Amino acid sequence: MRYLSIIFLVLKKELKDEFRRKEGIVASFFFALISLVLFHFSFDSGVGDISQSGAGLLWLIILFAGTLFIGASFKKEEENGTFYALLLAPVDRGAIYLAKFLSNLILLTLLEVFLLFISYFFLNIPIFNSPLSICFVFLLVSIGFSSLGTLISALLINERGSAVLYPLLLYPLLIPLFMGGATLTNEAINSKDIRSDPWLHLIILFDILFLTISTLLFESAVEE
Amino acid sequence: MKIKSFAMITSIIAVILNLFALYMVFFYAPIEIQMGAAQKIFYYHVPSAISSYIMLFVSFLFSIIFLVTKNELADLWAYAGAEVGLVFILCVLISGPIWGRSAWGKWWVWEPRLTTFLILFLMYFSYILLRTFSSEEMKSKRISAILSIIAFLDVPIVNRAIALWGSVVHPKKVALEKEMWQTFIVSFLAVLFLAFSFLLWRVYIGIYKERKNE
Repeated sequence: MRYLSIIFLVLKKELKDEFRRKEGIVASFFFALISLVLFHFSFDSGVGDISQSGAGLLWLIILFAGTLFIGASFKKEEENGTFYALLLAPVDRGAIYLAKFLSNLILLTLLEVFLLFISYFFLNIPIFNSPLSICFVFLLVSIGFSSLGTLISALLINERGSAVLYPLLLYPLLIPLFMGGATLTNEAINSKDIRSDPWLHLIILFDILFLTISTLLFESAVEE
Repeated sequence: MKIKSFAMITSIIAVILNLFALYMVFFYAPIEIQMGAAQKIFYYHVPSAISSYIMLFVSFLFSIIFLVTKNELADLWAYAGAEVGLVFILCVLISGPIWGRSAWGKWWVWEPRLTTFLILFLMYFSYILLRTFSSEEMKSKRISAILSIIAFLDVPIVNRAIALWGSVVHPKKVALEKEMWQTFIVSFLAVLFLAFSFLLWRVYIGIYKERKNE
């Protein structure tokens, strides 16, 4: 019970902070919009229908836009000097990690909802073909992204050149997750049944494995 | 210095085995009918792939030991494992396309196992980057240990994902002549000993450097 209430407290603090500063969320929403426009123009208008193969693009945008705030999730603690205060709290550090993870997950979900709507609006990607499957896929991939993203962000606290290193460390690890995300989203857009798809099992395995491992390793990641 | 003599012995064995393996590859093993001489790359390509997995496992294992015991020697082993692993991944990535050029007519085909190695290369190259750029020594050891653990656990998932992505030709089962098998085993041992001698030398250099710093 105490563990849960710690998670809830830190989560509340995180979200409050994020919505007051609005830095990460506004930047990532705006970045997503810009990328969508850029991607639209990077394809020759005669090449084909972007709405049928747009899933890969969506995931690329989410990866880049999500990095903006997930990569900074410990950076702001570092800037304000609150990181050590957080560590000094006599609580399980796994709980701190899980709270950060959840906060990133919530922000990521908001970003995805926004992106799905603008992609429906601008690119005519048929997201309403099977909304439930799409939500499910997006949630699963976001869990994996947020779990590893939060851990790598914690690893790079106080590290020189962390902004450059962050995507270099994180993206190769996420390749299988995004391959699965793109494939499943394409299938969902084309109204295929994804329930018995092997990609789904792979993503679920990825989520469980890395959420557990990250919670366990967080303690060693931040110890001084 | 115990490790130095170990390194020396493994190196000598590796050199002898490699000379022997090269002789067998070029003069003992028969030429494959379909692919011709290009098939001989196989004798170094596959052992390099297996050796790189073994080295990455060494890195993974010693990373765990380092996180648990904080023993600096374990960190040296973990780093050496990743570095030598990366060298052999590069060998696979170089020898693969040379073989692919004569087998498929293209340098690069997004073939499952070759792609897996490309992603492995990206992962472990970023590990080395982290080690190189990191400012604080103790902290960089800790975080690279964590990265090595995560990267190694990601390997089977990457493998599976790429297999699902679409399978282009890679000989699933290799039917080899008896002479080919013998050559393969010798060249496998040769590459394996070479990898271990690199590993031991790398650890030795690491210990030497730390001593010099003190």
